[in-house]
Amino acid sequence: MTVTAAAAPQRRRRIRLGHALSEYSGFAPAVVLLGLFFLVPLGIIVCYSFWETIDYSTVHHWTTGNYSYFFSVGAYVSTMWATVWVSVVATALAIALAFPFAYWLSRYVPKRLRTPLLVLVIVPFWSSYLLRVYSWLTILGEHGVLNRFLQWTGITNHPLGLFLYDRPAVILVLVYLYFPFGALTLYSSIERFDWNQLRAAMDLGASPLTAIFRILVPQIRPGIITAVIFVFIPVLGEYLTPQIVGGTGGVMIGNLIVNFFQSAEYTRGAAASLLIAAFIVLLLAVFRKSLSSRDAYGI
Amino acid sequence: MTTIAPTPTAASATTAAGIELRGVVKRYGTQVAVRGLDLEISDGEFFCLLGPSGCGKTTTLNLIGGFVPLTEGEIWIRGKRVHDLPPHKRPVNTVFQSYALFPHMNVRENVRFGLKMDRVPAAESTSRVEEALALVGLDDFGDRMPAQLSGGQQQRVAVARALVKRPAVLLLDEPLGALDLKLRQRLQIELSQIHRDVGTTFVYVTHDQEEAMSMADRIAVMNDGRLEQLGTPEEVYRRPASRFVADFIGDSNFFAATVAAGVATLADGSQMPCRGGSGQASVMVRPEAIRLAGSSPSLSGRVVQTSFLGKHVRVAVATAASEAPVVIALHDPSTLPPVGATVALSWSAEDAAVLEPK
Repeated sequence: MTVTAAAAPQRRRRIRLGHALSEYSGFAPAVVLLGLFFLVPLGIIVCYSFWETIDYSTVHHWTTGNYSYFFSVGAYVSTMWATVWVSVVATALAIALAFPFAYWLSRYVPKRLRTPLLVLVIVPFWSSYLLRVYSWLTILGEHGVLNRFLQWTGITNHPLGLFLYDRPAVILVLVYLYFPFGALTLYSSIERFDWNQLRAAMDLGASPLTAIFRILVPQIRPGIITAVIFVFIPVLGEYLTPQIVGGTGGVMIGNLIVNFFQSAEYTRGAAASLLIAAFIVLLLAVFRKSLSSRDAYGI
Repeated sequence: MTTIAPTPTAASATTAAGIELRGVVKRYGTQVAVRGLDLEISDGEFFCLLGPSGCGKTTTLNLIGGFVPLTEGEIWIRGKRVHDLPPHKRPVNTVFQSYALFPHMNVRENVRFGLKMDRVPAAESTSRVEEALALVGLDDFGDRMPAQLSGGQQQRVAVARALVKRPAVLLLDEPLGALDLKLRQRLQIELSQIHRDVGTTFVYVTHDQEEAMSMADRIAVMNDGRLEQLGTPEEVYRRPASRFVADFIGDSNFFAATVAAGVATLADGSQMPCRGGSGQASVMVRPEAIRLAGSSPSLSGRVVQTSFLGKHVRVAVATAASEAPVVIALHDPSTLPPVGATVALSWSAEDAAVLEPK
């Protein structure tokens, strides 16, 4: 092949394109994975949520009926709001417990003891999720440890059913399940903190608590927000915990979705799933700016 | 708590000292960091705690600042017992070695932080912040973030942040340790000027003897948790109280000797003048106090090395009186003897300190 002068620019462009392609080709596996396992399924769910279920089969007929149906049933809407507040409370409690733990671990525990302690935090993950939730039944149940203790001390003479099958039990177990996520995330951001700054703040007249909230917390804000996201997102979609320890009083939106799918109402289930997803997207949008620490330090 | 004007209590009326340490002991478990320290630091003094690492100087500073509780003894500041008070209740502010600036606040917010904690009214705090920034020469840097400043500038912000509270005492924990030599020397001059301007008592911890000598009114030389010597820079240099002080501060030549009636008999039998003392001793003479032109009595030796060091020439002379060559600092290179020459060393009695034997 002969190359004329006129063809040169075109050839150069083609070379540049090829160069760019080869530069980005390294991302190909990630793009394929993300596409196959995330974007395509998401697209399918979006499609389903705008289709119709007629006689237990999905009809490819575009409608917003699934969404309007969801909002027309009072029990669904109240379950959705209950899910949001249960998740907010559970997340807040998990973070509130994880923060002092991470603070204590990174400030007062000698380095050689930190890894064993972190491993202890992760140990529950070695057992099955179901086992961890069921074990709470043996604590909170009618013949559980808590009731036996109360009867033994004489505070009550018959087993109390109030520990189980309602939102407090769900929140308690969710806090237990997701505390490690909060603790590990917060620890990794507090660990790098220069503790001299707290000494300096106290030297300048701040009480210990003021020093923590004015000096430490603003600097680990990205870590706190990451922890909140790590806990809030999975909690929002929980369905096994509310089912096992929540009973009928502790139903969350995840249980509704399961019910929809089990009764072959795929389109309504898809719509309810996307409502959760919308909440999460909203949450991420709110926190998007705060996740960057660069602005705060003027770097 | 705002600025400090405590009235002296009856117990302390006799002492108007800025800071007083009485029998201060600090133990960490079985380890003793400070062993019974008595110190009196005058109001407005530039006071240096000098010593090698692990000598207890930083612990002493932390005891004054309240960052570590003391084991025994008392600490008084301006006639007020402070050793039971937490750091934020003491009339003391600190410049930390790492500066510990708040990276998420700009310079002005850093300096204002202490005033905010004291609930100083906005108008007053604004003028005090600007005043403090002007004092350290950072008038135009209020809006910068700490990460945008050089090490020297960060150090000055740390000073301004502490001084804006108008403490009775400013503690400085090796504040220049992280800076290069040139900048350190410039900031030494600046810190002395700031000290003169504000008149606050400065307690300065350093392991760098030159730094201590260049700034301090008085130096406390510490070793192994004890006070070795307390005095002006000239006193600790010219009249070291111990072998440790003589060795730690400046260059020194030691001779094992038997001393009697102002005469030291050295190992080679030569009899040299010295300052007082008797019996077995170490005689210490500074390099610049030794003369080469021989007046008698003199110590004979052979030149083994001469080095040109800019401001002076260092001559090493091997003698039979000491194991290590005697080091001499000559400021007039015209009298420089060649290597190998035999020379006669002499010094005057007042330049030869008699210290405990090795």
